[in-house]
Amino acid sequence: MATSVLLACGLNEQKLPGFVHISEESNVDGSFLISCILGQRLRISNAGTLLVCLQHHYQHYFNAGMRLGYNTNIFQGKTLNVIDVLSDMASEGLACKWLRTPDGLSLTEQLVEDIRAQVESNYANRNSYTILIDNLSILFNLGASKLQVQQFCQDLASLAKERDNLTVITKLSNSDIYQPTDNNVAKLGQLRIQVVRLKSGVFREVDGKLLIERVLDEGSYACEEARKEVLYKVNDRNVKVFTPGEVGVKV
Amino acid sequence: MTSFRKRTVQKPIPGTRTSPHTAQIITSSGNPYLDVVIGGGLPVGSICLIEEDRFMTHAKVLAKYFLAEGVLSKQEIFLGSLDDIPAEMLRRLPRPLTEVEQREEQMASEQTGETTENGLRIAWRYNDLPLVNSEHATAKIGHHFNLMEQMDSRMLYYASTVIWDDSHKDNWIGDGELSKSSSPSISMEQQPMAEAMGEESAAVETEPEANVEADADIKSLDNNAAATADNTANNTTTVTSSTKTGSQPAVWPHNVFHNTRYGGLLNDIQQQLRDESFITGTKKHLCRVCLTSLGSPLWYDDNFGEDMLKFLTLLMASVRNCNSVCLITMPMHLIAKYDASLVPKIRQLVDYAIELESFAGSERETHPAFKEYSGLLHLHKMSALNTLAVHMPETTDLAFKLRRKKFVIERFHLPPELQESPANAQSAMAADDIMPSPKCGSNVLINSNASASLDF
Repeated sequence: MATSVLLACGLNEQKLPGFVHISEESNVDGSFLISCILGQRLRISNAGTLLVCLQHHYQHYFNAGMRLGYNTNIFQGKTLNVIDVLSDMASEGLACKWLRTPDGLSLTEQLVEDIRAQVESNYANRNSYTILIDNLSILFNLGASKLQVQQFCQDLASLAKERDNLTVITKLSNSDIYQPTDNNVAKLGQLRIQVVRLKSGVFREVDGKLLIERVLDEGSYACEEARKEVLYKVNDRNVKVFTPGEVGVKV
Repeated sequence: MTSFRKRTVQKPIPGTRTSPHTAQIITSSGNPYLDVVIGGGLPVGSICLIEEDRFMTHAKVLAKYFLAEGVLSKQEIFLGSLDDIPAEMLRRLPRPLTEVEQREEQMASEQTGETTENGLRIAWRYNDLPLVNSEHATAKIGHHFNLMEQMDSRMLYYASTVIWDDSHKDNWIGDGELSKSSSPSISMEQQPMAEAMGEESAAVETEPEANVEADADIKSLDNNAAATADNTANNTTTVTSSTKTGSQPAVWPHNVFHNTRYGGLLNDIQQQLRDESFITGTKKHLCRVCLTSLGSPLWYDDNFGEDMLKFLTLLMASVRNCNSVCLITMPMHLIAKYDASLVPKIRQLVDYAIELESFAGSERETHPAFKEYSGLLHLHKMSALNTLAVHMPETTDLAFKLRRKKFVIERFHLPPELQESPANAQSAMAADDIMPSPKCGSNVLINSNASASLDF
């Protein structure tokens, strides 16, 4: 269903890099990547996953997962844990802890605390653990500053460094607007995936382009990087990738 | 023991159906042409942003369609606005067409179709081309309306409607406590009855200070009317339902928003949506939230951008969490002048972003190439909600025209050039100046990189 896109991104392995960042340009929807990665992690036996829902509700990932051939409800509470910030805000309204910060903690600090608590309770029982955060730009909307978001990502990156087999995957929308933050967050990890639109217009058979940058060896003086560019098309039940030039205009 | 199990089919929410393409529950936007463009209707839990044209005429028409559809489908309605008078807007909803009228209209359109078939065509091959999608809307959900006439007040009488116009603003600003009279909910159910009694009920919504007293007056009017009217039972229930949100406790939104209007509006929407009948999975009712001219200069202050993004984020959270759909109209051309970076940020927080670019007041109004249309419709965003892939319309080159009775969205096409003349050559050159050079899909990305080679 989504193997090809994960293969192209280098995310189909059991052991993932410590920190992965997905940059999403304005007017492009890269949520399918989160659904694809989530499905891949859930299929690995005894691999824990923590989903932090900031842009979509858990229900969205459940429905998208069903389209991709997996049922998140089976895993929820076992290998899958969810921090659904959006649902909390909807049910508790303006008195929600994410908006009020009752303990004097900022939104991002509160979120790090909750993530840490989840990791503490679940990491030991699992072979590997993945934290998926969708998406960082919502933190800006909820009043977090650039510094706070950067600190938040840094805390998560250090969490990944502290523990083996722990991966943090973040996504940031409107990366062209939040470019400095986007670059700084991307520098924390070894893999960066940019979801960009087609500059030449809209094409029925291609939705956009994935630019994949992977740090192979970070030496003292030089950094060896691998770059890849693929086109993608999100279908109803799968995601297809093409190499540039493969798709032709059918007359 | 038998393995037979009786199949229990859940009753669908009134005015909704399951989309065969995405398996989502969808509801009509009110305009059948718009429904076709967005894949049958708006998915439950989605937010549709209509970016207003400069004179704010066409966006309001779509908002009226949205509200009128809610009234006919017996869905609950929340209408909020600072620029318009919500009660007045509700009173001017378009009248639904009867089945006979619909059939007549269909017959008329078929007849015109026949004449064009028999008449002169530019080339016979055009007969094989599919007709414009939007003209053949499958209307299993949704109704047709006549913009020339207003909805019968008796229809509104039975509609469950809550309006917000910030008439209680004095209660928010001040000592930090919410007074009990801050409820904005004035049911439109009361209006026809008040009108029946010969009262000027419109004044109730226009004078905020006298709102509470006027509300009480209307209730007394209702009670008097109830005594004389035949349907006494109905009147009693509507008065009760109109005051139901007022009794619920509210949270002082001082810390969350700089501008207390956002907090007030959001609080009222959340109170409305927390009703048990809108809980996802129960499939009882659907709430239509309509906010017109959100982000207009009346909303401006020093922290406009920050408050607006926070408001939309929280609104998105609330709308997605229950059985509701939301339609927002925004003057995006003004917001872009305030802060250009706000435009993509706002679009990211909605599921559908549709811009209405009206020709009124521009050079195109008199341009021969555009004489058929009132403006262009740009689809800026369509996101996949509760599914993986989003529905893509056959074409994104769309135009709209506001006819006397209806708002029509069609595939945009330039008129045929019948003869070459210096005048035509000039107009073609002018059209080239205005229109982006033809390319794949074109109007989602206008003139981004005209000279660049194709990406694929």
